Amino acid sequence: MRIAQALLALALVSAGALAQEPGKVAVESYTLSNGLKVHLVEDHSSQVVAVDVWYDVGARNERAGRTGFAHLFEHMMFQGSANVKKAEHFQFVEKAGGFLNGSTTIDRTNYFEVLPSNRLNLGLWLESDRMRSLAITQPNLDNQREAVKEERRMRMDNQPYIGVVIDSIASLYDRDKCFAYAHSVIGSMNDLNAAKVEDVTAFFKLYYAPNNASLVVVGDFEPAEAKKLIEQYFADVPRVPAPPKVNCEQAFNTGALRRTVTDKNATLAAAVSFFRVPEEAHEDHPAVELLSNILGQGESSRLNRSVVREAKAAAAAQTLGLYGPTRGPNALAVLAIANQGVAVDSVEKLVAAQIQRIAADGVTEAELSKAKNSFRSSKIMERESALNVAESVHYAETFLGDPLKVNTDLARYGAVTVADIKRVAAKYLQTANSLVLMIVPPEAK
Amino acid sequence: MHPLTSMRARPLGLAPLVLLVALPLASVRAQYPTTPPAATPIKAAVFPPFQEATLANGLRVVVVQSKKQPVVAVSLAFPSGAFYDPAGRSGTAEMVAGMLTKGAGTRTADQISDAIEGVGGSISAGVDADFLSVRTAVLTNDTKLAFDLLADVVIRPTFPEKELELLRTQSLSGLQLEQSQPSAIADRFFRKGIYGDHPYARKADPASVKAITRDDLLKFHKARLRPNGALLVVSGDITLAQVKLLAGAAFAGWTGAAPAVAATKEPPTGKATEIVLVHRAGSVQSNILVGNTTWAPTNPQSFAGTVMNKVLGDGASGRLFLTLREAKSWTYGAYSAFERRKGLGYFVANTEVRTAVTDSALVELLAQLKRVTVEPIPDAEIDASKNSIAGAFPLKIESSAQVAAQVAAVKLYELPATYLQTYRQRIASVTSATAQAAAVAGIHPDKAVIVVVGDGTKIYEGLKKIATVRIVSLDGSTLKPEDLVVKGGSLDIARDQIVPASDSFAVMLQGNALGYQRSSLVKTDGGWLLTEDSQIATVIQQHTEVRFTENFVMLSAKQTGKQAGKDVKIDVVYAGGRAKGTAATPQPPAGEVKATTIDAEVPAGAVDDNLITTLLPAMKFSAGAKIPVTVFQSGKGTTITMTLSVIGEQEVKVPAGTFATWKVEMAGGEQPGTLYVEKAAPHRLVKLAFAGAPIELVRIR
Repeated sequence: MRIAQALLALALVSAGALAQEPGKVAVESYTLSNGLKVHLVEDHSSQVVAVDVWYDVGARNERAGRTGFAHLFEHMMFQGSANVKKAEHFQFVEKAGGFLNGSTTIDRTNYFEVLPSNRLNLGLWLESDRMRSLAITQPNLDNQREAVKEERRMRMDNQPYIGVVIDSIASLYDRDKCFAYAHSVIGSMNDLNAAKVEDVTAFFKLYYAPNNASLVVVGDFEPAEAKKLIEQYFADVPRVPAPPKVNCEQAFNTGALRRTVTDKNATLAAAVSFFRVPEEAHEDHPAVELLSNILGQGESSRLNRSVVREAKAAAAAQTLGLYGPTRGPNALAVLAIANQGVAVDSVEKLVAAQIQRIAADGVTEAELSKAKNSFRSSKIMERESALNVAESVHYAETFLGDPLKVNTDLARYGAVTVADIKRVAAKYLQTANSLVLMIVPPEAK
Repeated sequence: MHPLTSMRARPLGLAPLVLLVALPLASVRAQYPTTPPAATPIKAAVFPPFQEATLANGLRVVVVQSKKQPVVAVSLAFPSGAFYDPAGRSGTAEMVAGMLTKGAGTRTADQISDAIEGVGGSISAGVDADFLSVRTAVLTNDTKLAFDLLADVVIRPTFPEKELELLRTQSLSGLQLEQSQPSAIADRFFRKGIYGDHPYARKADPASVKAITRDDLLKFHKARLRPNGALLVVSGDITLAQVKLLAGAAFAGWTGAAPAVAATKEPPTGKATEIVLVHRAGSVQSNILVGNTTWAPTNPQSFAGTVMNKVLGDGASGRLFLTLREAKSWTYGAYSAFERRKGLGYFVANTEVRTAVTDSALVELLAQLKRVTVEPIPDAEIDASKNSIAGAFPLKIESSAQVAAQVAAVKLYELPATYLQTYRQRIASVTSATAQAAAVAGIHPDKAVIVVVGDGTKIYEGLKKIATVRIVSLDGSTLKPEDLVVKGGSLDIARDQIVPASDSFAVMLQGNALGYQRSSLVKTDGGWLLTEDSQIATVIQQHTEVRFTENFVMLSAKQTGKQAGKDVKIDVVYAGGRAKGTAATPQPPAGEVKATTIDAEVPAGAVDDNLITTLLPAMKFSAGAKIPVTVFQSGKGTTITMTLSVIGEQEVKVPAGTFATWKVEMAGGEQPGTLYVEKAAPHRLVKLAFAGAPIELVRIR
């Protein structure tokens, strides 16, 4: 009997008329008197809790001569505070069996702890202690400046492609009218060298305040207990005046940029094309996202089928999201790594031809359906982790203006039509809106 | 204590939000604690339930059900990893895995990817040392499709020739790409070092990838992808009954005895510690790996090893991280781990440090390894480590896919059936003494394999003070210490002949003065500044400034001007063995000005191409001398080697006077030509004639 039912259920679902949706995220939101926004998502399906704080600061808040501060500051946040000694933040969390990290993007800085649920109090306390009393000292600054330089050496200067890409990507944007986006997150080493304790302190005072932050807690906790702890730990951290607004007036289609750069770390040549695209909340964003999938994600993508499989010209050809979500101009990047013995110019031409084809002829319904399914299933699969849910709530709040959009944003993507894809391809993926980098290994130049 | 603290007891969740915010908040708040809050009681660790079955064909099945999200993940693992690659055919298992989804049953590669990606799912196959695994994940609506595709790719792969050639090309490119990644290079040499001729050291290389035939793949598939011995693990919103139905239908008719299990060979016996220095010219960091082979996954000491390693190097509170990163700022991270291999695992400590501190970092790392083997670990560290591992357990089983992976590991590595259920107890029973015993058994700092991937020219001297150093190139061939010296790179000049000076030249075209070039060299703080102005008719006009140190290390090159009406510019800064900046210079053949980002390595001893005339007085000219000069072309970002060969002597008359000169042929640059330099030091330039052009530079002062 049970088996017959199962069969029936399977037969039904295989017909699959209805698109499956992710489970609803039940968000309870409130704001402390000092302006700290709090969002709680109770979920007892595992004994895990994620504490995730986003500060509304990123490279976009930096000015010329002070680049790299947001990221340097992220490092400083692990150097101790009034009641947490240097390196203890790591130790407390690791000793509890948890893991933690922080990251800086153009648009935001996040700090999180994922803990066994009996240590929710630890995660909250650690976040509050550094929000209220970070230890900004000369030795900490010197030490972390070196750690950032080492990070740059490891992630960029000693790796193929990435250093060149990051050093070049800023030129996509107008330094005068949109400096916020026209520089890299890692920043200039000269600016970092010039950073003084007073500068870093000023940066902390301006941006690391409860009214410029948002706290999301997801997982196995009792809301009453969580609220009590949040009140106890965070409510008396003083509010500060709101930081200055970020200005950016970035025009699109300002003319093609093209460069050839030698990369001493590269062993295969690569072509990287960037196209300026609009911000996350823009009405064109869902179509751009799905276009990126159709063009360059997965085995069945246009680029993989044509450039990698048919022409056998590239070892890999795919789209990349280099920036993470933004509230300002973003970039869709296309990376193609030339196969041995294949001229990079010819690879770039093949990529450009595929892009032009979509702009001219559009995509098929089947391709669009695939992209939508892929996007939808990735959203469903990420709901399995408390941390990912926390990040999704922050995303909805910061980039879409409402944490509850975590449950409705998928509809924007479902509504995209093949006509939309063709339109945004023609609008944004044009040569006059691009930067093309030809990255060549030393001996090939 | 505030009089209203009693309100703390009020269940805040019930208070209307407006009211809550309106209350004087300080009054409902407990005091802010100045020490970390104590842990609340840890919940009983219940390992999530899972179900098992064995199908009629011998295929073992594990199901971990979770209704959290409408997803299903399936993995099918075979005991058929790289360990089973035939000799001389390293990469066979990996290539079999790569080919499984490239044509199976009646479907072509494109049809397979269209089908699975069309529903937003994925299917892929991969190998590690021991296992070949095929994984697929879909939304539950598409579970049947996932099983159908899975069965096709493991039972009925077609291995099309065309796809094989494409995969071969991609594999070769992949190997080439790996050569650009220092961590991949380090790993390859390390595994060769610890495993020697043991199959775990095998790694695909260009020769083996080229040698593998379609027949090799067919044989491997037939011999090793069989239901017996394999493990099917399904997790997500699905029941065992559903899995049995789906698998029974999809895998109908698939039979086969378990594949042969190869006898595990003895590991190479540990020798005295030796450093394998993999020379990677220009590397700004050194990747360091230190380690040795250890034990099989079933070894009971692995629990104590886990606790000990947590103290040593597992994470950001490990001793390695705290010393090398937090105390010394030498690195972004330093870690250690026991890696599981079915036959014989290994211990490895790793860090990536900036070049200058390579030797110091290695000394410190080795000292920390030694310390855990000779010094009892304080109980406080042991307790912290145990608490951490126990606390981390729920995080490892948060999603059904994670639970499935844990169960699969127990089955595949043949761990005791109660391994997961008793894991926390086994960890809790570790003591300082058993942890140290595990360190002694598992870490051999005096007989370790040490691999350092970095710039040998800069780190060899320091490393050889630590242990015997064997230098190899990226492709593994042996290098001698003298091979590390940059050829033609170090500039041999008579330093005392570089003095403040002003020179003035006329530019002559067929005997007519067409323009001038004036330069002055002045001493600056800690170095020299060359300033040069040139004007040739109305065609070229430029101003150049080059700065360099007293030791002739380049600092910067700046040039502004016009060529044929177009702005040209060079702005390059030299630092840390690299030149970075921008240049806009005319490109042959049409002379279009092209802007370029300059970001290039500058070999030791290289000089800026604008500086050659300036350095001539100090070069060691003599009859028959051939002087190599490494020149960095700051307008292009490239390095060339020019050769200045003395081909004779000649008396030369120029407006500044008549001079006895060496006639010197200049080759290797863009414009070959003949130089005439004063025979007596300082060998100042008297005349320069370009080959194939009627243009000369003659000294007028």
